[in-house]
Amino acid sequence: MSETHLPVERLSIILGEFKDVRVRKRGDRRTRVDVEPDALPALLELLKGRSGFVHLSAISCVDWPDDDQFELVYHLWSYELQLLVSVHTRIARDPGVYVSVYDIYHPAGFFERDIHEMYGVFFEGAPDMEKFILTEWDGPPPMRKEFDSEAWVNDHFDWQNYRPDWLIELEQQGGGIVIPPDEQRFSRRGMQEPDDES
Amino acid sequence: MSDNELVNQQFPVKVEQPGGSGNIFARVFDELTAFCRSRSLFILHYCTGCGAIELPPAMTSRFDMERLGISPMVSPRQADILLITGYVSVKTLKRVILTYEQMGSPKYVIGICSCTVNGGMYWQSYATAKKLNDYMPVDLYIAGCMPRPEAVITGLRQLMENIRRGEANGWQDYYQRYDHYLGHQQRLFGETWQTPTDVIAEAKHYGLFSNETLGEHTKLLQQHQKPLEALEMRLGLDSKDKVEP
Ligand code: SF4
Repeated sequence: MSETHLPVERLSIILGEFKDVRVRKRGDRRTRVDVEPDALPALLELLKGRSGFVHLSAISCVDWPDDDQFELVYHLWSYELQLLVSVHTRIARDPGVYVSVYDIYHPAGFFERDIHEMYGVFFEGAPDMEKFILTEWDGPPPMRKEFDSEAWVNDHFDWQNYRPDWLIELEQQGGGIVIPPDEQRFSRRGMQEPDDES
Repeated sequence: MSDNELVNQQFPVKVEQPGGSGNIFARVFDELTAFCRSRSLFILHYCTGCGAIELPPAMTSRFDMERLGISPMVSPRQADILLITGYVSVKTLKRVILTYEQMGSPKYVIGICSCTVNGGMYWQSYATAKKLNDYMPVDLYIAGCMPRPEAVITGLRQLMENIRRGEANGWQDYYQRYDHYLGHQQRLFGETWQTPTDVIAEAKHYGLFSNETLGEHTKLLQQHQKPLEALEMRLGLDSKDKVEP
């Protein structure tokens, strides 16, 4: 116990150097830190340099269209403390530009490129903002909440014909699909939501 | 006949017509070829998705598909069956079509998994093509998420049976209604879509040219088609990434 105690204290000293940092303990090994966007690179630098959070395991992005913001989450792991710190920050959705942390953590290059193509966030100073997975995609960034993937699917693809002629014959004889396809439609768009009474 | 003439001669490709008329002794040979063909099949598995995981058990000792005369093959040129095991994203679909067109005829396509039938659980995904048979002829679907090796074996046996009876004719359909398939491909990939294979010439070669081979979509294709060029051969590194000692 006492072994891990000291570095954890070191972590809280580092976090204490920042104002406007909100620290919430989420479990034995998880800590959530909320920080302003302009303080984030400095915080990452300190976490890496002074308390051994050398592993950036991912950067994730959350879209909050109602607040007009993107939330970026940097997941940092320390082998020494065996502790996961996730640093959250929120940036404006428009124009959706933030700084790259590639010079602190090189793996960030991949995550930022991915977020760029999925959400359209541009990272200044990133080594490469070219397409990564969606190399043949020319639509809007598909993970943004306003992207209506169902509408996209409906105008780019055709659906399987669930009532081919041979099935209609079967249906006339009393067989076939029990629930007709238009009723068992995957899509619930435009349908009334059932009342939550139960 | 000189050697040269022999080489230049084209080998006629026999197209079976089920229930064809004429000399019954000729049909004996057709049936024999169809039977032999159905008993020696190479499969090329284009493992796009999770469903591919059912193939190793289908191939190896417990279910042992080789006892049916079916064995895996690594290159499209030698393969008879193209197995597409799982969701096809738009990006993958291009590669699948390329692979399919490179296979020699007769060729058969099996779509394994619900995803190839209707998009499966990716029905709402912007990247996954639903309904594989819009883009290429599918001889047989094996549905399931994912189908068990038994189902795979059953499907393969059904295909063998169809081949034996001369009913697995998807490949002929591709030549005969190329415009239809190309239209769907262009709808998804844009009108500049093209493959290096000249399907129309092949259709003529196989004698499968029909009035639906050509159409508005092939016209569009001919506007954009670039002739196939040999790749440039280069030894050594590009000057820009040359390492200075
Ligand atoms: S049908 Fe199921 S197992 Fe098959 S590719 Fe789709 S999700 Fe995977």
